[in-house]
Amino acid sequence: MKIRFKIPQELLKSVLENLRRRHVFAAERVGFLLCRPAHMVESGLLILAQDFHAVADEDYLKDSSAGATMGPHAIRKALQAAYNLNTSMFHVHIHEHSGKPGFSGIDSRETARFVPDFWNVQPTLPHGAIVLSKDSAYGRCWMPGEQGPAEISEFVSVGIPMRRL
Amino acid sequence: MRDKISRLIRLDRQSFLGPDSADILDVCCAAIIGLGGGGSHINQQLAHLGVGNPAIVDPDKVEETNLNRLVGATEEDVALERSKVFAAERLIRAVNPWAHVISHKDNWQDHADELRSCDIIFGCVDSFIEREQLETFARRHLIPYIDIGMDVHRVEGSFSISGQVAVSMPGGPCLRCLGIITDERLRQEAQRYNAAGGKPQVVWPNGLLASAAVGMFVKLFTPWEKEIKFPILLEYDGDAQTLMPSNKLKYLSGYCPHFEGLHNVGDPFFGFRLVASDGAPLSKGK
Repeated sequence: MKIRFKIPQELLKSVLENLRRRHVFAAERVGFLLCRPAHMVESGLLILAQDFHAVADEDYLKDSSAGATMGPHAIRKALQAAYNLNTSMFHVHIHEHSGKPGFSGIDSRETARFVPDFWNVQPTLPHGAIVLSKDSAYGRCWMPGEQGPAEISEFVSVGIPMRRL
Repeated sequence: MRDKISRLIRLDRQSFLGPDSADILDVCCAAIIGLGGGGSHINQQLAHLGVGNPAIVDPDKVEETNLNRLVGATEEDVALERSKVFAAERLIRAVNPWAHVISHKDNWQDHADELRSCDIIFGCVDSFIEREQLETFARRHLIPYIDIGMDVHRVEGSFSISGQVAVSMPGGPCLRCLGIITDERLRQEAQRYNAAGGKPQVVWPNGLLASAAVGMFVKLFTPWEKEIKFPILLEYDGDAQTLMPSNKLKYLSGYCPHFEGLHNVGDPFFGFRLVASDGAPLSKGK
């Protein structure tokens, strides 16, 4: 199944800026991209990012085992946004290097735990998680009715110039 | 491997477009909607550029009256009542045999799922209502849309040629912002619906506008030009033989009020396809 993730260049820029802000105690920041899906041929899926929902400063937990740990309010607010705005939600964070990033063990374990929770509020939409690097991206997408996530095949930054990440 | 080397040799003279430009163009899916005077020129140029995944859509057959401007079409196509997409695909394959061509002798609306995966759409359609539909479709799927149009007007007993090329980028000014689509034009067009007779058309303005559109596409997708001034609206004055940035650009804010908001993106019926009649999400194979 081909999954193509598109994000407007300006949105990508603002997401990167937002996630690079220092936090009082968390080593990194996380957030959610609000997206809308569309079908492509041969069961392909297009995910279209349109807005960014930042996790508020006060919604991080002190946890030395991870760079950033979201508290229950962070998840609740993201669920509320998905419900109110009828959107797919894609968790997002950065790995500050160039080239193709990948999920760490913690990324894989934690996203598998909380991403399917978005089906409680938007059961017919795909949800997922992505990690950005300085010039690339990697992600997984959970489709309704599927057991596990599928890898996102392609990332496109829509702007001037058009760029595959 | 031999094919790739042949392809790269063929594109050697355009290597200044950037070190990866051949590969960028090879994986690019460029849709051309409408293969008349303008679209057939664009089709030919994309084939020469090495665009690897062209998608061409037009419901019409080649007619005698098309031969004054339809690049690649022949008398035989008219005699055998071949479609415009047939003529366009034949031209692509003659120039770029490695291309993966998607072609439909049909209305583009019937192939929306395929067109959603395109990287760019060239709109070469005749009517304003179809332009509006096509731009809305492109915006909904974050696809850059390049629109070309030309017209021949009767002015005080003589004929005057004009036209334009516009780039509609997601988030930027749209065809309404640029003054190309207006309610008045849509109203006038609706009144003329089914009026007899074809619009006057000639080959060279189509070629000029198509070339400008292809140039913008190349600027958007290859590393050739570092800084591109947006928005882009070029106006063609056929009498003065000039193609100039429109004065309207001076008064644009850069903000588009016509396509803002989450509800204007993605498939509005997405969820409905995945829900069974009992309201439960459909599982795989159900």
